[in-house]
Amino acid sequence: MSQPKLQLHFAHSAILRYGLAVASVTIALAIAFILEHHEFHRGAIPLFLLAVALSAWYGGVGPAMLAIVLSTLSFDYYFTPPFHSLRFTLEDVPAFFFLLTFGALITGFSAVRRRLEAELLQARDRLEIEVAERTQQASLLNLTHDTIFVRDMNDVITYWNRGAEELYGWPPKEAIGKSSHDLLRTVFPSPRDDIRAELLRTGRWEGELKHAKADGTEVVVSSRWSLRRDEQERPVAVLETNNDITVRKRREQQIEGLNQELAKRSTELEAINKELEAFAYSVSHDLRAPLRHIAGFTELLQKKISSVVDEKSNRYLAMILDAAKRMGNLIDDLLAFSRIGRAETQKTLFSLTQLVREALAEGRQDAEGRNIAWKIGALPDFYGDRSMLRLVLVNLISNAIKFTRTRTQAEIEIGCADGNTDDLVVFVRDNGVGFDMKYVNKLFGVFQRLHDSDAFEGTGIGLATVQRIIHRHGGKVWAEGVVDGGATIYFSAPKPRGHLWKP
Amino acid sequence: METVNKLGRILLVEDDPKDVELTLTALEEYNLANEVIVARDGEEALEYLYSRGKFKTRSSDNPAVMLLDLKLPKVDGLEVLKQIKSEEKLRAIPVVVLTSSREEKDMVASYRLGVNAYVVKPVDFHEFVNAIKELGVFWAVINEPPPGSVRK
Repeated sequence: MSQPKLQLHFAHSAILRYGLAVASVTIALAIAFILEHHEFHRGAIPLFLLAVALSAWYGGVGPAMLAIVLSTLSFDYYFTPPFHSLRFTLEDVPAFFFLLTFGALITGFSAVRRRLEAELLQARDRLEIEVAERTQQASLLNLTHDTIFVRDMNDVITYWNRGAEELYGWPPKEAIGKSSHDLLRTVFPSPRDDIRAELLRTGRWEGELKHAKADGTEVVVSSRWSLRRDEQERPVAVLETNNDITVRKRREQQIEGLNQELAKRSTELEAINKELEAFAYSVSHDLRAPLRHIAGFTELLQKKISSVVDEKSNRYLAMILDAAKRMGNLIDDLLAFSRIGRAETQKTLFSLTQLVREALAEGRQDAEGRNIAWKIGALPDFYGDRSMLRLVLVNLISNAIKFTRTRTQAEIEIGCADGNTDDLVVFVRDNGVGFDMKYVNKLFGVFQRLHDSDAFEGTGIGLATVQRIIHRHGGKVWAEGVVDGGATIYFSAPKPRGHLWKP
Repeated sequence: METVNKLGRILLVEDDPKDVELTLTALEEYNLANEVIVARDGEEALEYLYSRGKFKTRSSDNPAVMLLDLKLPKVDGLEVLKQIKSEEKLRAIPVVVLTSSREEKDMVASYRLGVNAYVVKPVDFHEFVNAIKELGVFWAVINEPPPGSVRK
């Protein structure tokens, strides 16, 4: 990369350099002859010194020495008496002294100058290489989308990459030279002195900062600082890499807000649940007590007067007792129903076949003396709360037994229908009295009944309980029926997946 | 009557006068009602047990059984139960919780405190009378009460 002119100064060829010495001395000699010819004496020494200077300047120390030797010999031979002889007399000593001294001085100065020049050139070359490397590094840093800038220990920005320009909006020429914290109006997460102390101690720091952009908007960055030290281990600069996390931060805040809202809601729900529980408790205790009194005192009254009052009065008393008993059952069922909503489900994997067997055993009492053809299909394993599912099956089976009461040959089928890949579907089908499909929506409502209680007893809470349990298991309940043509109740639930068998 | 002579004293803790009457009626029906002390709230029950207040002058014997309602004014049934079962000289008294509550947490709490039986008052009068009769017969007649109990 050296310039051509400078290359000439350091002509590498020794022949050229020494030739230059010989030529300059020859030319000086020729000019001295011409001057001598024109009666101008004393021109030779300056001319030879000039030749030495030329040789020293362009050729270096060696050629300069040669020029000195040649000049001294030429001067002695041609310009000091006896002429044309190398012998010299005492008279010539001052002239020789003058020539040699000045020649040596010129050579010496020249040598010093050349050494300095060589060092200078070397330094310049090193500098150029470094500049090239730095430029390359800087352009590499410009390639990244991360925001990178360098600041000195007084926080003055010395480097500002393209990512920094993109994020903050200031071009390098506007940012460099400014105090970074003033320019960006940095908001620190902890006291600045602490951050600085950590940086100096560990050589790095990481944290979240708030910065202002050129357009005034605020940006949240995840910031990483690295300390640069010089050879003496003195801190000289800080490399700051920032990532824009404003969006992420905003989302986090939103999520946090939502979480708080959720926590609030769930606290409210909990409170409502507590209230409900207190309500259920009070229903259980306070409503049952007067009911018991109605029944109790009516019974006592009945005992006292049944023999003296007419049949109608006795019937009224019986109806009061019946109503009180029925209300007691309703309250019990309602409480059980509300308990299902409040109870925690304890899910395990269990065999539905086994559970159906248990439910059938429970329903056997109702089926006594009846002619029922049972058809139990293959049933899958079920993942859920076993005692709740048992209640579902007991309800469905007892319904099927109840509503086939009018059949001389009852048929009840329990099986597994084709579900989809995620859900299993179980059904209980009977050939009982069935129902009109236009009332299907009422089937699962609390206290909804499609038959009068004279024909089929019950509180109308069984299917509501079934639905509530299945909903709590993430499934669905539906029914198909034809008046006097039987009914099928279906329920679905997510298939067990990856749950360990716990018998 | 033979049974009357052996009858233990029953402490009935019940705030509802109607329930008191029904219970007494049920006990009367089986001649079990001649030694029944009625306390109308938890405080009165404790006063009786500790022979305080209006029961200061009562005989020092303990009842053969205590029928305890849970929902009581002033000091509730569970608190009464807790005090009895943590008191050395009262701990032996058999306590039967007789309540309208079928709440599981009441049952759990009662058994944890060391109740001897837990009976939910049936709505049906026959069942109620039967329950009271059986309780009375069992605890006041069949069961041998701890020493220091009243037995006529």
